[in-house]
Amino acid sequence: MGELKLMKGNEAIAEAAIRAGVDAYFGYPITPQSEVIEYLMVEKPYETTGMVVLQAESEIAAINMVYGAAASGKKAMTSSSSPGISLKQEGISYMAGAELPCLIANVVRGGPGLGTIQPSQADYFQATKGGGHGDYHMIVLAPASVQEMADFVSKGFDLAFKYRTPVMILSDGLIGQMMEKVILSEHTPRWTDEEIIKLSPWATTGKPASRERNIITSLDLDPYRQEEHNIHLQKKYKEIREKEVEYEEIMCEDAEYLFVAYGSSSRIAQKAIKLGREKGIKAGLLRPITLYPFPSEAIRRLSQQVKGILSLEMSAGQMIEDIRLSVDCEMKVEHFGRMGGVIHSPAEALQALEEKIIGG
Amino acid sequence: MAAEIKTTQVVTKADYKSDQVVKWCAGCGDFAILSAVQSALAESQVRKEDVVFVSGIGCSSRFPYYINTYGFHGLHGRGAAIASGVKIANPKLDVWHITGDGDSMAIGGNHFIHLVRRNIDMNVILFNNKIYGLTKGQYSPTTPRGSITKTSPDGTIENPFKPGELVMGAQGTFFARVVDTEPKRMKEVFLEASKHRGTSVVEVLQNCVIFNNRIHNEITGKDVRDDHQIHLEHGKPMIFGKEKNKGLVLRASRLEVVIIGKNGITEKDILVHDVNNPDDTTHYMLVRMTLPEYPVATGVIRFCDCTGTYDAELELQIEKAKAKPEVKSLQELIEQNSFLVE
Repeated sequence: MGELKLMKGNEAIAEAAIRAGVDAYFGYPITPQSEVIEYLMVEKPYETTGMVVLQAESEIAAINMVYGAAASGKKAMTSSSSPGISLKQEGISYMAGAELPCLIANVVRGGPGLGTIQPSQADYFQATKGGGHGDYHMIVLAPASVQEMADFVSKGFDLAFKYRTPVMILSDGLIGQMMEKVILSEHTPRWTDEEIIKLSPWATTGKPASRERNIITSLDLDPYRQEEHNIHLQKKYKEIREKEVEYEEIMCEDAEYLFVAYGSSSRIAQKAIKLGREKGIKAGLLRPITLYPFPSEAIRRLSQQVKGILSLEMSAGQMIEDIRLSVDCEMKVEHFGRMGGVIHSPAEALQALEEKIIGG
Repeated sequence: MAAEIKTTQVVTKADYKSDQVVKWCAGCGDFAILSAVQSALAESQVRKEDVVFVSGIGCSSRFPYYINTYGFHGLHGRGAAIASGVKIANPKLDVWHITGDGDSMAIGGNHFIHLVRRNIDMNVILFNNKIYGLTKGQYSPTTPRGSITKTSPDGTIENPFKPGELVMGAQGTFFARVVDTEPKRMKEVFLEASKHRGTSVVEVLQNCVIFNNRIHNEITGKDVRDDHQIHLEHGKPMIFGKEKNKGLVLRASRLEVVIIGKNGITEKDILVHDVNNPDDTTHYMLVRMTLPEYPVATGVIRFCDCTGTYDAELELQIEKAKAKPEVKSLQELIEQNSFLVE
């Protein structure tokens, strides 16, 4: 049994990083996620586990520091909020191309542009469809609680190293700032140099006579070799789609209507379902835990059972495209969500279900 | 090109006050800077409709909301690039770039030095409070080494930038330093900056009352400022101190503080400030002066019209190209095939 604490979501990411044996964190302050770097600086993990914490001169510098650290097989991570994550896209694309594991946490705020500092889920497209240039995907984890903010750090690194790919925790200003109780896992020691050589034979750990040089690059000017590399990446994403989908079904057994919602919105949907059931409306929730890979199969299966689906997102409707693709547009799928930092209420969510799906 | 509009009335300081609620903290040094800029603009009698304020992100970058001119609240660190675009597209505009030590010394460092290197005709006011204020108290690239902040509980281990050093390193043609506690001098320096053709950088030592209070007190404090500051004036000897008996001399290729009347030193031995000197060696030494060995230099340190401005030279190139067109029309151009590379 781990330690029980009351923490902010941002603090939970930071504490979990120390406990997960992360080697390096590189960040830059931006609201609403500055607590991640502040917590790490105060905790001084460099004195206990040896984890490095550095405030970079920009988000771009931070992601490239991650690039450098990850190339040597270290567990490296960064975090930011929407405008800062946009700045990191170049580095993320290069790391996806160079097949490097890392963890990036996005505590999303309203956009576009400088937007606002309030919570939003409008970075779904950027996170799940690539974000930077080229054919690539990140694995995207969507925590719905402070507990999951903590849990998804080690889970994210496991996936990142399993598939040699950047992994993103896509949360929002609500989960980042709110406090909940969280059970923290035991400390995992940082990998030793010997363990890194064993676990990540691709890493630039120093060339022994027994093997060829390890080259970390996203560049290959020969189009045929570059195509081969792309085919290899696509195979990897296919495997991820087949093996790593995670979701949660809540009150779906007898559901006639379905909410699909992740993160903060999934918490709001649960309350909306409760309100609906008090009125005799049998609604359920499918909560994607992985946004990439997306739980298409589960949605397709539930679409056989329910009469309509409402996608609840704090955006203009982004995940709804994946839901519609999941059901081949053969069922009524509508979107509801507030934008620009406004959080929808459970009553609004239920009203939207009644108007757009039940009555619509 | 700005249209030919005639200003119909005399512009006063009040005309530069906007209707926006100022969201800086009570007691923030930014208020004094805003007021001094408004006074300077009114005094300079530039056409109000030609004035544009461009900022990046940070507390200082809220400035364009609070001044009744054209305004552009930009991206973090990118204000210098946006302002460059504004000026190049409309060279007749009077462009002011507002930035801070986080905005222009961290993520915007690159754009900042390239703006100075190009010498685009604009005025840059750099609010240096040596802390990230808007994100609530993390160290910045100008935070003194060893400072304890929210992200440096054991003290920072980074060497801070002096903005003036970057300006000199990028071959800057104008650099001045003022303190936010002296509104009259601030106004005068802003006026000098607006007279200078090229990139004029004014560093304002500004107090962040919440996250870095009294950071400049060793320089601005009433009891110490006469001895810890040297206010430079063109053509005048570099004398300072409460008793006006200290001065700067050049010895063995470095500056040295001397006492007038001691060891045979007279006022004649004291360096005279030549703000226009194209050779920036002395300016660079003045910019670098740090307590406790030296007083901190304030006032206009460098004001040189030694190189052309990017915007003026670009205009010249356009005019030249227009004056002797080899091709009169698009049709002719296509027929000539002169744009095709063999």
